[in-house]
Amino acid sequence: MWARILNIMIGIWLMAAPGILSYETAAAHNGHIVGPVIATFATIACWDATRNVRLWNYPLGGWLLLAPWILSYDYSLAIVSDMLCGVLVLVFASVQRKSTGKYGGGWRVLWK
Amino acid sequence: MTEASSYIPPGWEYNPAAWSQRIPIVLLALVGFAIATYLSLYQLDVIDQVWEPFFGDGSETILNSKISHILPVPDAALGAFGYLVDAVTGVIGRTNRWKRMPWIVIIFGLAVGPLGFVSLMLVVFQPVLFSAWCTLCLGSAVISVLMIGPAMDEMLASLQFLKRAKDHEKVSTWKVFWGIDSEIDKMNE
Repeated sequence: MWARILNIMIGIWLMAAPGILSYETAAAHNGHIVGPVIATFATIACWDATRNVRLWNYPLGGWLLLAPWILSYDYSLAIVSDMLCGVLVLVFASVQRKSTGKYGGGWRVLWK
Repeated sequence: MTEASSYIPPGWEYNPAAWSQRIPIVLLALVGFAIATYLSLYQLDVIDQVWEPFFGDGSETILNSKISHILPVPDAALGAFGYLVDAVTGVIGRTNRWKRMPWIVIIFGLAVGPLGFVSLMLVVFQPVLFSAWCTLCLGSAVISVLMIGPAMDEMLASLQFLKRAKDHEKVSTWKVFWGIDSEIDKMNE
């Protein structure tokens, strides 16, 4: 649960950082787009039956590591912020909580 | 086996259609409905001002933007309708509805999911397209995202039930989906 909450906070930080650190253009757009999505996935993963949604944040965390170079940020604080957030999102998304329920085999049985 | 415990899906430890599971989601939907109704009253010019404690004229920028009026009805009115569908489909049916009324659980899940997705999109549009934030729009989005997780467990129970109906040789999945009692009774659950 704490790992989900930390990723929610990172998502909110990514939304707020362009305003707080006052940077614009691609770096700001990237935070404004990726931040809410990370926070949403982490929120949905707070509930036991949908806890695997935490894994959906892997590609987004990975993207944060690449984005500064692909979108060529021109503000070093934005580069540091996004890279750091990327690493932390990947770490927290990989934190696995012991499942408290069984859920009749979960979502997996639907495709059997 | 008591009646209540027989409503726990096989392999589960609780009943996701119990009122204790559903009422919080319905309450969230009603709060969302109230916020969205208030915002749509502003968009329909019924009220002149909108409450905005943090972002200056942000709410006005967002609520008067092109995107918010891209459809014949303002987007907040559509949101209010979405929350109403969430609340109504959350209330309908007894605590065994995951197997006796799968259709309503599926509609409920489908209403909650896309509403959350649309809210998320609108949150992204605010700063990216209009460089502004709208406090109550963000609050509404938080509510619709909070509803997704707790709604999905009931959806899962219904989908698992429909899967068992599909795997059952003598049962029509279609009839089970629509909650035909005689068909559901054949499954002996």
